[in-house]
Amino acid sequence: MTPLAAARAPMAVKPIGRPAWLLAPGVMWLFVFMIIPVAFTVVVSFWSSGYFGTKPDFTFKNYLKLFQSPLYSGQLIKTLRISLEVTVLSLVLSYPIAYLLSRARGAIKLVMLVLLFLPFWASYVVRAFVWLPILGRHGVLNSLLMGMGLIDTPIDGLLYNEGAVLVGLVYVYTLFMTLPIYLSIERIDKGLIEAAADLGARPFSIFWRVLLPLSWPGVVSGCIMVFLLTMSAYVTPQLLGGPKGILYGNVIASQFLGNNDWAFGAALAVALVVITVLLFMLVGRKMKIEQVFTGGG
Amino acid sequence: MMSPHSIGIASAQPRRRWNGYQTALWVYAAVFFVFLYGPLLMIVVLSFNDSRTTGLPWKGFTLQWYQSLIGNNQLMAALGNSIYVGAAAAVIATFLALLLGLAFRHNFRGKRLVLYLIITPIIIPGIIGGVVLLIFFGYLGIRPSLFTTVLVAHVNWVLPFAFLTLYPRLHNFDKSLEEAAMDLGARQWQVFREIVFPIVRPGLIATALFAFSLSFDEFIRTMFTVGSERTIPVQFYVLIVEELSPELPAMAVLVVLLTILSSLAGFVLSRRADTKLSS
Repeated sequence: MTPLAAARAPMAVKPIGRPAWLLAPGVMWLFVFMIIPVAFTVVVSFWSSGYFGTKPDFTFKNYLKLFQSPLYSGQLIKTLRISLEVTVLSLVLSYPIAYLLSRARGAIKLVMLVLLFLPFWASYVVRAFVWLPILGRHGVLNSLLMGMGLIDTPIDGLLYNEGAVLVGLVYVYTLFMTLPIYLSIERIDKGLIEAAADLGARPFSIFWRVLLPLSWPGVVSGCIMVFLLTMSAYVTPQLLGGPKGILYGNVIASQFLGNNDWAFGAALAVALVVITVLLFMLVGRKMKIEQVFTGGG
Repeated sequence: MMSPHSIGIASAQPRRRWNGYQTALWVYAAVFFVFLYGPLLMIVVLSFNDSRTTGLPWKGFTLQWYQSLIGNNQLMAALGNSIYVGAAAAVIATFLALLLGLAFRHNFRGKRLVLYLIITPIIIPGIIGGVVLLIFFGYLGIRPSLFTTVLVAHVNWVLPFAFLTLYPRLHNFDKSLEEAAMDLGARQWQVFREIVFPIVRPGLIATALFAFSLSFDEFIRTMFTVGSERTIPVQFYVLIVEELSPELPAMAVLVVLLTILSSLAGFVLSRRADTKLSS
């Protein structure tokens, strides 16, 4: 073996440091500040809360309240439904963009990528806020419609409902769909699409039979991310939803920021973690967890 | 895109149909980007509107909303808080990520489990990341403040990203120098200081800046751990909820510019680090 070849081979000597010592600080940090707080939250979810705050106990009361009270189970079901709607909407809106991005070349591709990323580098809270002055009673949309003479009085119903929340959530989360799909389309051998076209396949059947199946890992990644982000959304529904449009995340938050019912809040939080973990386990059978963030790559 | 050798006339028609689809797609893309940018551009317009209610009609150009921001002490305090906690979180997370990355060059038992532990904060929803710390610190009797509860929440959030950014850089560099040094009898610390560290330094800086930009924009975890010292996103959110004050659009523009600036710096430096690495 020549010396050069030896240099390219896997390290002959062990990498520096001892793994146990190198791992200790990071693992300790996450154990103390992540695992223990989550475990403690699970414990608190079995405590009981009364007029004098939360006290240690072992009761399923909080979980029963979540699943039996129509108010809370209704909120959970509504949030699951809206999450599904936001996911499907984002998928439909994002797929063509992801496809175009993968076809684009050179400067156009770069410009498109920057244009796509730039709003997502902008502040998250601001992007939730922007719809407020647009959809509001004195908002841009109302004054435009009135200016065009389409309506006489401002429409109140544009804001503070599910529709406004839907628009707002798609707006803030759609890149989490576009990006993994784009990454997975990029990995498809372009020859396959050309071959299908040469053999006379129509664009729609190329999409349905070649493009979509091969980009499926990206679609799955994007759907999981958008679904979970919506399930736990707080800012957008809080600002745009009003009483009709609030979601599960707002119900969790109000147990801590308003009602001061920590035990029930803990149970609501644990239920959301269980949903999250179940979803990841379901996908974990098909791809590695970390691949969820890279569109299956 | 399509080769002409297929059956002459038959292939001309599908091609026309292809072009039709392509045009439709580009038109759609234009609409999509209007959806993406319209609201943001509208906020910029509104930030110059001389009207006490946020919205249209246009009542003339003014800079007064921007001027009132400069004299806004709360906003400046929030900016300072965001920078301090962002810098602290970036340094801590990058340091922890460096050690974890060095460990991941070894083979050890439970590697996959540790990887799952590291990415847990990304998988756990943000609101839960905030709530569990609120409960944890609440029962420990630790009062919420910038450099205790908020800092912990931010390090939790940025650590997985710091690790995922840094690890490939630690893993992919040419290890022959390192091996040579060890063959020549250099101590481990010397190998790290003289060889590994200089090679990964640009990567470390890029990682820290990326971590800073994530921390700078963090809202939900901060919301549940914040005390009286607000960060920029929290300050902005509180202003929306408490009073729809007329300078909100101007503040939004400022917050967006600051956030993009912090992200852009991280992105540019990380690209530069990559080109250095590969050259």
